[in-house]
Amino acid sequence: MDDTRQRILEATYACVARWGLAKTTIEDAAREAKVSRATVYRTFPGGRDELIDAVVAWATVEFFARLYERVHGAESLEEVMERGIMFAHRSIVEHEVLQRVMQTEPEKLLPALTVESNRIRLGIAEFLVPYLEQRGVAEGVDLLEAADFLARMVLSYMSSPGRWDLDDPAQVAQLVRSELLAGVVGPQPAGGFAPAGGADG
Amino acid sequence: MPLGKTALRVIPGAEAAEVESAEVGVESRSAGHRERIIDATLGCLARHGTAKTTVDDIARASGVSRATVYRVFPGGRDELLAAVVDTEMARLFSALGARLGAAEDLREALVVGIVEASTRIRGHRALAYLVEHEPGLVLGHLAFDESERLLTTASRFTAPFLARWMSPDEAGRVAEWATRIVLSYAIAPSARMDLTDGERAAHLVEAFMLPGISALHASGTTPTIDITPFESEHHPPTSGHTGHTDDTEHTDHTDQGDEP
Repeated sequence: MDDTRQRILEATYACVARWGLAKTTIEDAAREAKVSRATVYRTFPGGRDELIDAVVAWATVEFFARLYERVHGAESLEEVMERGIMFAHRSIVEHEVLQRVMQTEPEKLLPALTVESNRIRLGIAEFLVPYLEQRGVAEGVDLLEAADFLARMVLSYMSSPGRWDLDDPAQVAQLVRSELLAGVVGPQPAGGFAPAGGADG
Repeated sequence: MPLGKTALRVIPGAEAAEVESAEVGVESRSAGHRERIIDATLGCLARHGTAKTTVDDIARASGVSRATVYRVFPGGRDELLAAVVDTEMARLFSALGARLGAAEDLREALVVGIVEASTRIRGHRALAYLVEHEPGLVLGHLAFDESERLLTTASRFTAPFLARWMSPDEAGRVAEWATRIVLSYAIAPSARMDLTDGERAAHLVEAFMLPGISALHASGTTPTIDITPFESEHHPPTSGHTGHTDDTEHTDHTDQGDEP
């Protein structure tokens, strides 16, 4: 059953990549997944709306699974944030399906993506907690409040870099050590300011 | 005209209803109409959203004829809705400007700016209705490229106020950062960090922003930034501050109390 679900989601994603969100029908998804319409409806009783929401959720999970894989094994909080922001930014820029749907039918994608972003924010915060615990938060700063703040900032920068060039490791290091972490973890240890951009390999 | 009153409550200080069209010249009558129609539209949006609001509804709510609406907004409904967005942004920035201009130090500027913007966004009834019932429409302005535009507009407007305490480049970054913070907590409110509450906003500014600004300064490419209060601008915060490009040893500019 899980296999069927996975297959339908992958097939639907392929359809969305080709035709966009609005033009993807249950029939398209069924044909692409080589299952019957009835099977799609049995797997997604809510029909097309449920299927589209599920595909956005699935693509989001895929995205963050890759991101977690990328930052896994980073040795410090700084390194996690730097690697994560750089990889997430590049992945978004290079994400053809996301970019195309954002160009052509953002109003169809954004509500689902916003629901996802709440879940993502909680996920990022939860992921950061052990790193924050290990590093220690500044005096007067609550651990969960800090994790939530960092998750919000990561989401904001990865989708909209603004003035920052997130392809430049030196700028990312500066961003992470100023706007993101300076208040959260307190003063840097001596000699602590050095970009960790070359650490992934 | 209950709708007109509703619209006025959306934006305290809106003065459309006070313009007596019979006693002013043609030009300001048109300006008065413009503002009255925009406020009436806000009232309609707060009750029915964009999908169910027609030019007829707007004309009725603003007490003018359909022809007048089209004379002031020849592009019809679309032009009117765009004008509503522009007007609301201008009103927000104007209120923000007054707050930021009156602030006496950087900490205060950040706190009052964040509280003012957060409070106005939260209290905006038309916006609240649209977020609830037509999320795609609002979110389109808050994601990816559109969000970039909003960040640029907001930080361009607020940065000059912050440049009293830091370099223009720094001020631009900090203004953009503050905008991100306001937007994030406005889109997804946090029970523990209510930024319409002055004390919570002050905590966020003191705990996260001021240390971040110091670090930005210490690591930055721009050598001259001074985040001490405006009054003490003529007294360098630490000896040896001027003329050095390597400022890593002067990271504690937020200590504003112990100057000679």
